[in-house]
Amino acid sequence: MAIESPLVDSVDNRESATEPCDHCGLPSPRRHGSDHTFCCNGCRGAYQLIHCWGLEDYYALRDSLNGGESMGPVDGKKAKGIDWSELADTGLLGKSTPKDIGSGLVCSRLAIEGIHCGACVWLIESIARVSPGWQNARVGMHDHSIEITFDPQVLRLDDVADQLGKIGYRVFPWVDGNSEQRFRDENRQRLVQVAIAGFCSMNAMWIAVAIYAGEYSGIAASQLLLLRVVGVFLGLVAAFGPGRVFFRGAIASIKTRTPHMDLPIALGIGVGAVAGLVSVLINHRDVYFDSVAVLVFLLLVGRWIQFRQQHRAADAVSLLMRMTPTVATLINQDGSRSRVSADSIVAGDRCLVIAGEIVPVDGHIADGSSKIDRSLMTGESQPVRVGQGDAIEAGTLNLESPISVTAGASREQSRITNLLRLVEDASSRRTPIVQLADSIASRFVLLILTLAFLTVVIWWHIDPMRAAGNAVALLIVACPCALALATPLAISVTLGRAAKRKLLIRSGEALERLSSQGTIWFDKTGTLTRGHPQLVAGSLDNQTLRLCASLESNSNHPLAMAIVDAARQRNIDLCSLSQITDVAQTTGQGIRGVVDGRHVAIGSIGFVRRSALNIDDAVEANVSSIAGRGLTPVAIAIDGDVTAVIGIGDDLRHEAIGVVKDLQRRGWSVGILSGDHPSVVEAVGDRLGLPPHHCLGGQTPEQKLAKIEFDVIESKQTAGQGRAARYRRTVVMVGDGVNDAAALAAADVGIAIRGGAEASLQAAPVYLATDSLVGIVQLIDASKKTVGVIRRNFRVSLGYNLLAVTLAMAGLIHPLLAAILMPISSLTILSLTLGTKTFADGQPTPEIQS
Amino acid sequence: MSVIFVALPVALLLGGSALWACSLCIRSGQFDDLQSPSVRMLMDDKKISDPDRIRSGDQSKP
Repeated sequence: MAIESPLVDSVDNRESATEPCDHCGLPSPRRHGSDHTFCCNGCRGAYQLIHCWGLEDYYALRDSLNGGESMGPVDGKKAKGIDWSELADTGLLGKSTPKDIGSGLVCSRLAIEGIHCGACVWLIESIARVSPGWQNARVGMHDHSIEITFDPQVLRLDDVADQLGKIGYRVFPWVDGNSEQRFRDENRQRLVQVAIAGFCSMNAMWIAVAIYAGEYSGIAASQLLLLRVVGVFLGLVAAFGPGRVFFRGAIASIKTRTPHMDLPIALGIGVGAVAGLVSVLINHRDVYFDSVAVLVFLLLVGRWIQFRQQHRAADAVSLLMRMTPTVATLINQDGSRSRVSADSIVAGDRCLVIAGEIVPVDGHIADGSSKIDRSLMTGESQPVRVGQGDAIEAGTLNLESPISVTAGASREQSRITNLLRLVEDASSRRTPIVQLADSIASRFVLLILTLAFLTVVIWWHIDPMRAAGNAVALLIVACPCALALATPLAISVTLGRAAKRKLLIRSGEALERLSSQGTIWFDKTGTLTRGHPQLVAGSLDNQTLRLCASLESNSNHPLAMAIVDAARQRNIDLCSLSQITDVAQTTGQGIRGVVDGRHVAIGSIGFVRRSALNIDDAVEANVSSIAGRGLTPVAIAIDGDVTAVIGIGDDLRHEAIGVVKDLQRRGWSVGILSGDHPSVVEAVGDRLGLPPHHCLGGQTPEQKLAKIEFDVIESKQTAGQGRAARYRRTVVMVGDGVNDAAALAAADVGIAIRGGAEASLQAAPVYLATDSLVGIVQLIDASKKTVGVIRRNFRVSLGYNLLAVTLAMAGLIHPLLAAILMPISSLTILSLTLGTKTFADGQPTPEIQS
Repeated sequence: MSVIFVALPVALLLGGSALWACSLCIRSGQFDDLQSPSVRMLMDDKKISDPDRIRSGDQSKP
């Protein structure tokens, strides 16, 4: 039983003949003669459907997320049985306080961590339906929220949280960030504008069709007038209602003297709308209302898509805020304890942090000793032992025993809050890239105005009556609809295709940046390496491994867990607890005991020496060679003989060497920035073939940030000003964990790789959900192609504009021609973009390692 | 008088009311989440065991 995953451990002890459900992991009756075990038909159905959809990756994703850090924080929390009782205290829930909705039911909205895909939604909402008293759950994937409706008579909120915790999701009280509220409001407002523009343009189009049809087959003057008046009205509504955003942009661009795409667009829309109004008033033939309305609609749709993609990042910083604890146990002067909001803690207060809880404030340990998991702060994968007087930071996880902490600062001033602030700063400080379109726009406006002026002058001499009309026609057809669509479209298409390959990109800028080569920095722990200790050197026969793993199952030391893990991988059944006796553990040294009648000692060479009779030179040599590889040597003695020396360490991902080679072949310079010990970092760099001066160890988060910022500034200075600045060397940071978040945000492109603290991933513009580094190379190739597509789109749409402008100057443009030409140019761009393969064929999606 | 003088305003009125309804839906948040509803439709309906709970379940979503 001891080898069962801690996830089901506690439940398993109660009911013996059970196995975890293949779908949700809940204990279920064992069924003989069947490959799979399910707790209920719901799970069986879900499991089968997930397989039918070809979404088996869901399990691998889930398992590697939980198991990837398994011996560390996530399972640690579960094994200790996290205390959800804070959720039962309604006074501390803030916005998540359950609201009575009648019929004896209450409803509460919480933040939830761990949602990845539709399967998660499915899973959670299915569980809600099979749980007694839990009425329903509605998961919002866009903002990582869950709305729970339940019967307070039957169960409490903390029971619900507990059930969700068992299947790998954590819930937190909802903290409404400002940015979130703003995003929601703006998103809705933009959608309404799109709807209005869509209504206007569609109606304007059919009215235009009626007018053109009437011109060829004859139409009564009164009807023509009606159609024109209504059409122009719709065009005006589109131009000055939803379209006013372009005028605002144009005015801002004139004020700040930074020309961008809004300027020519506003010019086209404005001239089109005014010209339409004037021609109705003077009963002139040419009205361009339909072109204007369609233009506004298409551009707004494009911008809305862009807006949604860009804003996911902001969402997520607030998710991280919710993950840091909101309540703390305060120890009062008289020794009594009270649960208070973490924000109310001030310097000097004492708080109790029990095992499994996250430390709420920065401070020092006043009493007690324990192991803490600092991975959120430093990326250090191994728990650190702390005792009285040691400094401790908010956001770290207490793993072992209760400690009391004297707060050194309020939560506002804690290091994690500062780091989060750095993330936000870095993302806002980043200078917006001067897009190719924008740099063209300024010259474009100038050119168009000059041509329009020329048209007036030339036609004044030929036919003064038509001079103004032709100039207006030119201004309208020159409006760069295709040009304005080209960039967002190409980028959105690539983002969509990348997402299908589980490479999630949140801003198009990242794509553009990745297309030019530069420097790429990798974090070590969890990025280049797997992030948790594993048995990587030395071999053990099954019998020895069985004895070792049985003994080590009594310890929760990470090295012990690596040995137990190895046994589990080989499907070795461990000895029952009654066969293991006389277990003695020496902290930081090793463990010994009698297993199945044999004396087993596992630990450092010094520890084993004390219980072993003879240690030959070969063993000593083995130990030093393993230590030289940057691994932790562990010696094993059975009945007094040293039988094996194994190396446990954080091994490289198997694809890491290939990826580094690929990157170097593409002209990137590769380096490591790690918080780990410099000698370990150099050993890893050596295996990857990196020069030692590119392997920087012992870096604090602040130092990483400084290094990245330095690189960015250096690259800007080398590139110089103006046009060349666009082609400067790109600085990329690849990492995970909160400790990298600031560096990720400061880099030109931050690439977060799955396996670290989830929310920090969202601070980076790129997120690899494949748990494989191969995605980085794919992405770089795809971004090159995308930039190529954008350039071609520019050429094509400029070609169309050239044609239209020439026709207009020649006085040949007719409103009908304009109405046809403009959508056709957009359609050409659309089909050219969709028809290009961004990702190479035959490049399989990287396999997910479980 | 041609029918167009009646049909055109009526058509616009109908379209306009649809637009109004659409904007109401957007503002009530129906279009905030474009991902999970596509999965949700694949789920089986809850078995009607207790009509009371079903009714209240409906009310749970404002």
